[in-house]
Amino acid sequence: MSTFYFGSGPIIHVAPGDVMTLLGIPITNSILYGWISLILIAIVLIYVRHKAKLKPIGGLVQFIEIGVSFITDFVHSSFDDPNLGKKYSPYFVTLFFFILFNNWLGLLPIVGEGIVSNGYPLFRPFTGDLNATFGMALITMIVVYASSIKESGGFRNYIMHFFVGSPKNPLFLIIGFLEMLTDLTRVISLSLRLFLNVAIGEIVIAVFSYLGHFLAPVSALPFTLIELFIGALQAYIFTVLSSMYLAIAVNHAADHVGKQRSGHIKKGHKSLVGEN
Amino acid sequence: MTVADALNIVAKGLMIGGGFIGPGIGIGLIGGNYLQAVGRNPEASKFLGQALIFVAIVELFGLLAFASIFIV
Repeated sequence: MSTFYFGSGPIIHVAPGDVMTLLGIPITNSILYGWISLILIAIVLIYVRHKAKLKPIGGLVQFIEIGVSFITDFVHSSFDDPNLGKKYSPYFVTLFFFILFNNWLGLLPIVGEGIVSNGYPLFRPFTGDLNATFGMALITMIVVYASSIKESGGFRNYIMHFFVGSPKNPLFLIIGFLEMLTDLTRVISLSLRLFLNVAIGEIVIAVFSYLGHFLAPVSALPFTLIELFIGALQAYIFTVLSSMYLAIAVNHAADHVGKQRSGHIKKGHKSLVGEN
Repeated sequence: MTVADALNIVAKGLMIGGGFIGPGIGIGLIGGNYLQAVGRNPEASKFLGQALIFVAIVELFGLLAFASIFIV
Protein backbone atom coordinates (compact mmCIF):
# COMPACT_ATOMS: atom_id res chain seq x y z
CA MET A 1 0.00 0.00 0.00
CA SER A 2 1.43 3.35 -0.93
CA THR A 3 1.78 6.15 1.58
CA PHE A 4 -1.10 8.56 1.99
CA TYR A 5 0.42 11.72 3.40
CA PHE A 6 3.05 10.69 5.87
CA GLY A 7 3.68 7.65 8.02
CA SER A 8 3.53 4.11 6.78
CA GLY A 9 -0.16 3.86 5.91
CA PRO A 10 -2.74 1.47 7.30
CA ILE A 11 -1.82 -2.20 7.68
CA ILE A 12 -3.90 -4.24 5.29
CA HIS A 13 -4.12 -7.98 4.80
CA VAL A 14 -6.10 -9.40 1.91
CA ALA A 15 -5.17 -13.03 2.52
CA PRO A 16 -5.51 -14.88 5.85
CA GLY A 17 -2.36 -15.75 7.77
CA ASP A 18 -1.28 -18.60 10.02
CA VAL A 19 -1.61 -17.65 13.67
CA MET A 20 -1.02 -21.01 15.36
CA THR A 21 -0.38 -24.67 14.67
CA LEU A 22 -2.49 -27.53 15.97
CA LEU A 23 -0.90 -31.00 15.76
CA GLY A 24 1.39 -29.76 13.01
CA ILE A 25 -1.45 -28.31 10.94
CA PRO A 26 -1.30 -24.51 10.53
CA ILE A 27 -4.51 -22.75 11.63
CA THR A 28 -5.36 -19.49 9.86
CA ASN A 29 -6.98 -16.59 11.65
CA SER A 30 -10.15 -16.79 9.55
CA ILE A 31 -10.82 -20.45 10.36
CA LEU A 32 -10.14 -19.74 14.06
CA TYR A 33 -12.75 -17.00 14.08
CA GLY A 34 -15.00 -19.19 11.92
CA TRP A 35 -15.03 -21.85 14.65
CA ILE A 36 -15.75 -19.29 17.35
CA SER A 37 -18.61 -17.73 15.39
CA LEU A 38 -19.93 -21.17 14.46
CA ILE A 39 -20.23 -22.07 18.15
CA LEU A 40 -21.85 -18.69 18.92
CA ILE A 41 -24.34 -19.05 16.04
CA ALA A 42 -25.25 -22.60 17.08
CA ILE A 43 -25.80 -21.53 20.71
CA VAL A 44 -27.95 -18.53 19.73
CA LEU A 45 -30.08 -20.42 17.22
CA ILE A 46 -30.64 -23.41 19.53
CA TYR A 47 -31.62 -20.98 22.32
CA VAL A 48 -34.06 -19.24 19.97
CA ARG A 49 -35.48 -22.56 18.81
CA HIS A 50 -36.30 -23.50 22.44
CA LYS A 51 -37.62 -20.05 23.25
CA ALA A 52 -39.89 -19.65 20.21
CA LYS A 53 -43.60 -20.01 20.91
CA LEU A 54 -46.78 -19.74 18.86
CA LYS A 55 -47.58 -16.47 20.58
CA PRO A 56 -44.94 -13.99 19.39
CA ILE A 57 -42.40 -12.62 21.86
CA GLY A 58 -40.20 -9.66 20.98
CA GLY A 59 -36.47 -9.21 20.80
CA LEU A 60 -34.02 -11.62 19.25
CA VAL A 61 -36.59 -14.40 18.77
CA GLN A 62 -38.81 -12.17 16.68
CA PHE A 63 -35.86 -11.02 14.59
CA ILE A 64 -34.87 -14.62 13.81
CA GLU A 65 -38.49 -15.49 13.05
CA ILE A 66 -38.77 -12.60 10.58
CA GLY A 67 -35.61 -13.78 8.81
CA VAL A 68 -36.78 -17.39 8.66
CA SER A 69 -40.20 -16.50 7.26
CA PHE A 70 -38.67 -14.04 4.78
CA ILE A 71 -36.32 -16.62 3.25
CA THR A 72 -38.91 -19.42 3.46
CA ASP A 73 -41.49 -17.30 1.63
CA PHE A 74 -39.00 -16.44 -1.08
CA VAL A 75 -37.94 -20.04 -1.62
CA HIS A 76 -41.58 -21.18 -1.66
CA SER A 77 -42.53 -18.57 -4.23
CA SER A 78 -39.63 -19.38 -6.55
CA PHE A 79 -40.62 -23.05 -6.97
CA ASP A 80 -43.66 -24.03 -9.05
CA ASP A 81 -44.32 -27.02 -6.81
CA PRO A 82 -44.98 -26.04 -3.15
CA ASN A 83 -43.74 -29.44 -1.88
CA LEU A 84 -40.29 -28.75 -3.33
CA GLY A 85 -40.17 -25.38 -1.61
CA LYS A 86 -40.92 -27.05 1.70
CA LYS A 87 -38.22 -29.65 1.02
CA TYR A 88 -35.39 -27.25 0.16
CA SER A 89 -36.07 -24.14 2.26
CA PRO A 90 -34.24 -25.40 5.45
CA TYR A 91 -30.91 -25.47 3.61
CA PHE A 92 -31.30 -21.90 2.37
CA VAL A 93 -32.42 -20.59 5.76
CA THR A 94 -29.31 -22.16 7.31
CA LEU A 95 -27.12 -20.61 4.64
CA PHE A 96 -28.70 -17.19 5.17
CA PHE A 97 -28.19 -17.11 8.93
CA PHE A 98 -24.68 -18.56 8.74
CA ILE A 99 -23.53 -15.86 6.30
CA LEU A 100 -25.47 -13.07 8.03
CA PHE A 101 -24.03 -13.73 11.50
CA ASN A 102 -20.54 -14.33 10.13
CA ASN A 103 -20.66 -10.98 8.35
CA TRP A 104 -21.93 -9.16 11.43
CA LEU A 105 -19.56 -10.86 13.87
CA GLY A 106 -16.73 -9.83 11.56
CA LEU A 107 -17.48 -6.18 12.32
CA LEU A 108 -16.72 -6.45 16.06
CA PRO A 109 -13.79 -4.33 17.27
CA ILE A 110 -11.82 -7.40 18.39
CA VAL A 111 -11.69 -8.58 14.77
CA GLY A 112 -8.98 -7.08 12.60
CA GLU A 113 -5.65 -5.43 13.24
CA GLY A 114 -6.26 -4.64 16.91
CA ILE A 115 -5.02 -7.92 18.39
CA VAL A 116 -1.94 -9.16 16.57
CA SER A 117 -0.41 -12.60 16.91
CA ASN A 118 2.51 -13.97 14.91
CA GLY A 119 2.52 -10.89 12.65
CA TYR A 120 -1.10 -11.37 11.60
CA PRO A 121 -4.35 -10.23 13.21
CA LEU A 122 -5.59 -12.92 15.58
CA PHE A 123 -9.15 -12.85 14.23
CA ARG A 124 -10.39 -12.32 10.70
CA PRO A 125 -14.02 -12.48 9.51
CA PHE A 126 -14.74 -15.98 8.23
CA THR A 127 -16.44 -14.67 5.09
CA GLY A 128 -13.45 -12.40 4.42
CA ASP A 129 -11.45 -15.42 3.27
CA LEU A 130 -11.71 -16.73 -0.28
CA ASN A 131 -11.25 -20.35 0.87
CA ALA A 132 -14.29 -20.10 3.14
CA THR A 133 -16.61 -18.50 0.61
CA PHE A 134 -15.36 -20.82 -2.14
CA GLY A 135 -16.16 -23.79 0.09
CA MET A 136 -19.65 -22.47 0.78
CA ALA A 137 -20.31 -21.80 -2.90
CA LEU A 138 -18.97 -25.23 -3.87
CA ILE A 139 -21.19 -27.02 -1.35
CA THR A 140 -24.19 -24.96 -2.45
CA MET A 141 -23.64 -25.71 -6.12
CA ILE A 142 -23.11 -29.43 -5.39
CA VAL A 143 -26.44 -29.41 -3.55
CA VAL A 144 -28.02 -27.57 -6.49
CA TYR A 145 -26.63 -29.98 -9.11
CA ALA A 146 -27.44 -33.10 -7.09
CA SER A 147 -31.01 -32.04 -6.38
CA SER A 148 -31.68 -30.86 -9.91
CA ILE A 149 -30.41 -34.18 -11.28
CA LYS A 150 -32.66 -35.95 -8.77
CA GLU A 151 -35.73 -33.83 -9.50
CA SER A 152 -35.40 -33.99 -13.28
CA GLY A 153 -35.27 -37.77 -13.11
CA GLY A 154 -31.81 -38.99 -14.08
CA PHE A 155 -28.56 -37.55 -15.37
CA ARG A 156 -29.62 -37.80 -19.02
CA ASN A 157 -32.72 -35.65 -18.56
CA TYR A 158 -30.68 -33.08 -16.67
CA ILE A 159 -28.08 -32.84 -19.45
CA MET A 160 -30.81 -32.68 -22.10
CA HIS A 161 -32.35 -29.57 -20.55
CA PHE A 162 -29.29 -27.54 -21.55
CA PHE A 163 -29.98 -28.28 -25.23
CA VAL A 164 -33.42 -26.74 -25.77
CA GLY A 165 -35.00 -30.09 -26.72
CA SER A 166 -32.70 -31.72 -29.30
CA PRO A 167 -28.88 -31.66 -29.29
CA LYS A 168 -28.92 -32.60 -33.01
CA ASN A 169 -29.61 -29.01 -34.04
CA PRO A 170 -26.12 -27.41 -34.27
CA LEU A 171 -27.33 -24.07 -32.89
CA PHE A 172 -28.86 -25.69 -29.81
CA LEU A 173 -25.67 -27.75 -29.39
CA ILE A 174 -23.52 -24.61 -29.19
CA ILE A 175 -26.04 -22.86 -26.92
CA GLY A 176 -26.09 -25.91 -24.66
CA PHE A 177 -22.31 -25.99 -24.23
CA LEU A 178 -22.27 -22.25 -23.54
CA GLU A 179 -25.01 -22.77 -20.91
CA MET A 180 -22.87 -25.47 -19.24
CA LEU A 181 -19.88 -23.13 -19.16
CA THR A 182 -22.03 -20.39 -17.60
CA ASP A 183 -23.17 -22.90 -14.99
CA LEU A 184 -19.59 -23.63 -13.98
CA THR A 185 -18.76 -19.94 -13.46
CA ARG A 186 -21.51 -19.67 -10.84
CA VAL A 187 -19.27 -21.14 -8.14
CA ILE A 188 -16.61 -18.53 -8.82
CA SER A 189 -19.01 -15.58 -9.06
CA LEU A 190 -20.91 -16.54 -5.87
CA SER A 191 -17.72 -16.96 -3.84
CA LEU A 192 -15.93 -13.90 -5.23
CA ARG A 193 -18.92 -11.62 -4.64
CA LEU A 194 -19.22 -12.48 -0.95
CA PHE A 195 -15.45 -12.52 -0.32
CA LEU A 196 -14.76 -9.21 -2.07
CA ASN A 197 -17.61 -7.40 -0.35
CA VAL A 198 -16.49 -8.45 3.12
CA ALA A 199 -12.73 -8.10 2.52
CA ILE A 200 -13.07 -4.69 0.88
CA GLY A 201 -15.35 -3.57 3.70
CA GLU A 202 -12.57 -4.48 6.14
CA ILE A 203 -10.04 -2.55 4.05
CA VAL A 204 -12.28 0.53 3.84
CA ILE A 205 -12.81 0.50 7.61
CA ALA A 206 -9.05 0.11 8.18
CA VAL A 207 -8.25 3.00 5.81
CA PHE A 208 -10.76 5.37 7.37
CA SER A 209 -9.83 4.54 10.93
CA TYR A 210 -6.20 5.25 9.94
CA LEU A 211 -7.16 8.59 8.36
CA GLY A 212 -9.15 9.56 11.45
CA HIS A 213 -6.06 9.18 13.66
CA PHE A 214 -7.22 9.74 17.26
CA LEU A 215 -10.81 10.28 16.02
CA ALA A 216 -10.79 6.78 14.50
CA PRO A 217 -14.11 5.63 16.06
CA VAL A 218 -15.87 8.67 14.59
CA SER A 219 -14.40 8.46 11.10
CA ALA A 220 -14.90 4.69 10.81
CA LEU A 221 -18.47 4.68 12.18
CA PRO A 222 -20.34 5.54 8.92
CA PHE A 223 -18.49 2.85 7.00
CA THR A 224 -19.16 0.31 9.73
CA LEU A 225 -22.87 1.12 9.45
CA ILE A 226 -22.70 0.72 5.66
CA GLU A 227 -20.98 -2.62 6.22
CA LEU A 228 -23.84 -3.71 8.51
CA PHE A 229 -26.24 -3.09 5.63
CA ILE A 230 -23.95 -4.68 3.03
CA GLY A 231 -23.44 -7.76 5.20
CA ALA A 232 -27.19 -8.36 5.40
CA LEU A 233 -27.60 -7.62 1.68
CA GLN A 234 -24.85 -10.05 0.69
CA ALA A 235 -26.30 -12.82 2.85
CA TYR A 236 -29.68 -12.24 1.18
CA ILE A 237 -28.14 -12.18 -2.31
CA PHE A 238 -26.09 -15.36 -1.81
CA THR A 239 -29.19 -17.19 -0.58
CA VAL A 240 -31.52 -15.83 -3.23
CA LEU A 241 -29.15 -16.46 -6.12
CA SER A 242 -28.47 -20.05 -5.07
CA SER A 243 -32.17 -20.75 -4.56
CA MET A 244 -32.87 -19.26 -7.98
CA TYR A 245 -30.23 -21.48 -9.59
CA LEU A 246 -31.95 -24.50 -8.06
CA ALA A 247 -35.45 -23.27 -8.94
CA ILE A 248 -34.53 -22.59 -12.58
CA ALA A 249 -33.14 -26.11 -13.09
CA VAL A 250 -35.98 -27.84 -11.22
CA ASN A 251 -38.86 -25.84 -12.72
CA HIS A 252 -37.44 -26.34 -16.19
CA ALA A 253 -37.31 -30.09 -15.62
CA ALA A 254 -40.97 -30.06 -14.54
CA ASP A 255 -41.85 -28.34 -17.81
CA HIS A 256 -40.49 -31.24 -19.82
CA VAL A 257 -42.22 -33.90 -17.78
CA GLY A 258 -45.74 -32.51 -17.54
CA LYS A 259 -47.56 -29.69 -19.24
CA GLN A 260 -48.75 -27.74 -16.23
CA ARG A 261 -47.26 -24.58 -17.66
CA SER A 262 -49.85 -24.16 -20.43
CA GLY A 263 -52.62 -24.70 -17.87
CA HIS A 264 -51.21 -21.85 -15.75
CA ILE A 265 -51.10 -19.46 -18.68
CA LYS A 266 -54.63 -20.31 -19.73
CA LYS A 267 -55.97 -19.75 -16.21
CA GLY A 268 -54.18 -16.43 -15.91
CA HIS A 269 -55.49 -15.32 -19.27
CA LYS A 270 -59.05 -16.18 -18.33
CA SER A 271 -58.93 -14.19 -15.11
CA LEU A 272 -57.45 -11.24 -16.99
CA VAL A 273 -60.33 -11.32 -19.45
CA GLY A 274 -62.82 -11.57 -16.61
CA GLU A 275 -61.42 -8.47 -14.91
CA ASN A 276 -61.70 -6.44 -18.08
CA MET B 1 10.41 7.68 -5.92
CA THR B 2 11.51 5.96 -9.10
CA VAL B 3 9.68 5.99 -12.43
CA ALA B 4 8.43 2.46 -11.80
CA ASP B 5 6.81 3.48 -8.50
CA ALA B 6 5.16 6.47 -10.13
CA LEU B 7 3.86 4.29 -12.98
CA ASN B 8 2.57 1.83 -10.39
CA ILE B 9 0.52 4.53 -8.68
CA VAL B 10 -0.80 5.84 -12.01
CA ALA B 11 -1.78 2.29 -13.01
CA LYS B 12 -3.66 1.78 -9.75
CA GLY B 13 -5.51 5.05 -10.24
CA LEU B 14 -6.45 4.18 -13.80
CA MET B 15 -7.56 0.72 -12.70
CA ILE B 16 -9.87 2.05 -9.99
CA GLY B 17 -11.17 4.88 -12.15
CA GLY B 18 -11.79 2.75 -15.21
CA GLY B 19 -13.11 -0.18 -13.26
CA PHE B 20 -15.73 1.82 -11.41
CA ILE B 21 -17.15 3.72 -14.40
CA GLY B 22 -19.01 0.70 -15.73
CA PRO B 23 -20.62 -0.47 -12.47
CA GLY B 24 -21.43 3.17 -11.65
CA ILE B 25 -23.37 3.59 -14.87
CA GLY B 26 -24.96 0.18 -14.41
CA ILE B 27 -26.16 0.78 -10.85
CA GLY B 28 -27.43 4.22 -11.89
CA LEU B 29 -29.44 2.66 -14.72
CA ILE B 30 -30.89 0.00 -12.41
CA GLY B 31 -31.87 2.54 -9.75
CA GLY B 32 -33.23 5.03 -12.24
CA ASN B 33 -35.31 2.46 -14.07
CA TYR B 34 -36.61 1.09 -10.77
CA LEU B 35 -37.74 4.56 -9.69
CA GLN B 36 -39.28 5.16 -13.11
CA ALA B 37 -41.24 1.93 -12.81
CA VAL B 38 -42.40 2.86 -9.30
CA GLY B 39 -43.43 6.32 -10.49
CA ARG B 40 -45.45 4.83 -13.29
CA ASN B 41 -46.96 2.04 -11.24
CA PRO B 42 -46.57 2.36 -7.44
CA GLU B 43 -47.33 -1.34 -6.96
CA ALA B 44 -43.97 -2.13 -8.56
CA SER B 45 -42.20 -0.98 -5.38
CA LYS B 46 -42.32 -4.59 -4.12
CA PHE B 47 -39.56 -5.49 -6.59
CA LEU B 48 -36.87 -3.62 -4.63
CA GLY B 49 -35.29 -6.91 -3.55
CA GLN B 50 -34.91 -8.04 -7.16
CA ALA B 51 -33.42 -4.68 -8.12
CA LEU B 52 -30.87 -5.11 -5.31
CA ILE B 53 -29.91 -8.55 -6.67
CA PHE B 54 -29.01 -6.94 -9.99
CA VAL B 55 -27.12 -4.22 -8.15
CA ALA B 56 -25.03 -6.96 -6.52
CA ILE B 57 -24.39 -8.68 -9.86
CA VAL B 58 -23.20 -5.42 -11.41
CA GLU B 59 -21.19 -4.43 -8.34
CA LEU B 60 -19.02 -7.56 -8.59
CA PHE B 61 -17.09 -6.13 -11.55
CA GLY B 62 -16.25 -2.95 -9.68
CA LEU B 63 -15.08 -4.97 -6.71
CA LEU B 64 -12.92 -7.12 -9.01
CA ALA B 65 -11.22 -3.95 -10.25
CA PHE B 66 -10.70 -2.79 -6.66
CA ALA B 67 -9.24 -6.14 -5.63
CA SER B 68 -6.81 -6.21 -8.56
CA ILE B 69 -4.92 -3.15 -7.31
CA PHE B 70 -3.42 -5.36 -4.60
CA ILE B 71 -1.72 -7.65 -7.09
CA VAL B 72 -0.30 -4.89 -9.32
